Amino acid sequence: MKYAIEVNKLRKEFGLKTAVKDISFQVQEKTLFSLLGVNGAGKTTTIRMLTGLSRPTSGDAFVLGHSITTDLNEVKKVSNVSTQDTAVAPNLTVRENLEFMAGIYNIDKKQIQERTNEMIQLFSLQEVENSKAKTLSGGWQRKLSIAMALITDPKVLYLDEPTLGLDVLARKDLWRIIEGLKKKVTIILTTHYMEEAEHLSDAIAVMVGGEIKALGTLEDLKKLTGKDNLEDAFVEIAEGGL
Amino acid sequence: MRSFIFSKRTLKEILRDPLSYIFCLGFPIVMLVIMTIVDQSIPEEAGMTIFHIDNLAPGIAFFGLSFIMLFTCLQVSKDRSTAFMLRLYASPLKSLDFIAGYTLPVLVLAVLQSVISFIAAIVIGAFVDYQFDLVNVILCILVLIPSALVFISFGIFFGTLLNDKAAPGICSIIITSASMLGGIWMDVDSIGGTFAKFCHALPFYQGVRGARFALTGEYGDMVKPVLITLGYGILVYLFAIFVLRRKMQQDVK
Repeated sequence: MKYAIEVNKLRKEFGLKTAVKDISFQVQEKTLFSLLGVNGAGKTTTIRMLTGLSRPTSGDAFVLGHSITTDLNEVKKVSNVSTQDTAVAPNLTVRENLEFMAGIYNIDKKQIQERTNEMIQLFSLQEVENSKAKTLSGGWQRKLSIAMALITDPKVLYLDEPTLGLDVLARKDLWRIIEGLKKKVTIILTTHYMEEAEHLSDAIAVMVGGEIKALGTLEDLKKLTGKDNLEDAFVEIAEGGL
Repeated sequence: MRSFIFSKRTLKEILRDPLSYIFCLGFPIVMLVIMTIVDQSIPEEAGMTIFHIDNLAPGIAFFGLSFIMLFTCLQVSKDRSTAFMLRLYASPLKSLDFIAGYTLPVLVLAVLQSVISFIAAIVIGAFVDYQFDLVNVILCILVLIPSALVFISFGIFFGTLLNDKAAPGICSIIITSASMLGGIWMDVDSIGGTFAKFCHALPFYQGVRGARFALTGEYGDMVKPVLITLGYGILVYLFAIFVLRRKMQQDVK
């Protein structure tokens, strides 16, 4: 069994506050791993540390064998992130945003064209490909933001609340795309939508107050809490019922 | 390569904002026309030469560069306030790529802006019977590059420290101060005293003075103000990139 990510006693302190408390977990290659938790549970801080956007206070994590504390440049080359807030260059068109992102990951020119066309196809961006990103609706921008993460062909993809604020149709559309990526890319997903985690995850970790309180498959969590759906299981864990 | 790609993005972002054209090109050219009309209305006996086209053109070209500061500042501050920058921090871009990516495109814009200002000045010169020496015009554009560096550095510095709401206010103060203290709209030396000494100590006066000497072919007198401006440019630029790198490191703490 190969692990794409191995987290070892990762800790993050902000002054007197400890956002993440010595967490450890592993994520198998080419699976979708969901990090659940209420606001302030430490999900985003964990992702920020794994992507190099925040330095751990102690502990380490290995992304495809590269340490986030000593080998961050290699980590950045093999992973990409779609942040909570839509992250696009507003005055660039959809196509230009994709080409820009591929360019800064040193993908060669011919491949940039191929990958851009592929992403436009995959995310059904044809009708807006020449529109400036700032003119797009929230749903389109979110799709573009994820496409920009995927165009660099990451081995590990972090999706931080990718469907936040989207309507039902746009959300289902993104689920379809994310499902299509499973078995090809290792995905770490954070979400507040239990239905989303239930639908997409191979493994789930529930964070409470910076700690991982439960970890396993959907069935494991249901069994652990004696509940028959993820939402109830999550509430049980988050409220300290275990 | 990454610097070049980031530079291209910055250039597109700035060029696609219509305000860039209004402030970087339209406003200086309008000022050039207005001040030439004013100059025509001033009687010869007044002995006021500051608005003569040979004095005005380098001054206005310098004035235009101060707007480059505004756009650099807005671009840096806007980028820093968005999740787009976070995404770039998580990419293989290094801090030097960011620095080059902000500096190179605005430097190119600054030179282009000076070229366009001088083309407008040459056309206006034809109406007021003044013929520019083309070699001196090119030299003047080159001599303005250290001044451009000063303004770009201020842009990076304030863009790093301020948000995009506060940035225009601070930049407006500097634009106004630079044009007044640089002697574009008034003869600083005729005022004299402490005020003149204060102006002489700043890069704005020296930048305008060096450009005016270059345009009139006074090469010997040109060297000192150009070197002073260049010294300021290098110092302020180094300080600005120190602040930017520091802030970027703090962002990922």
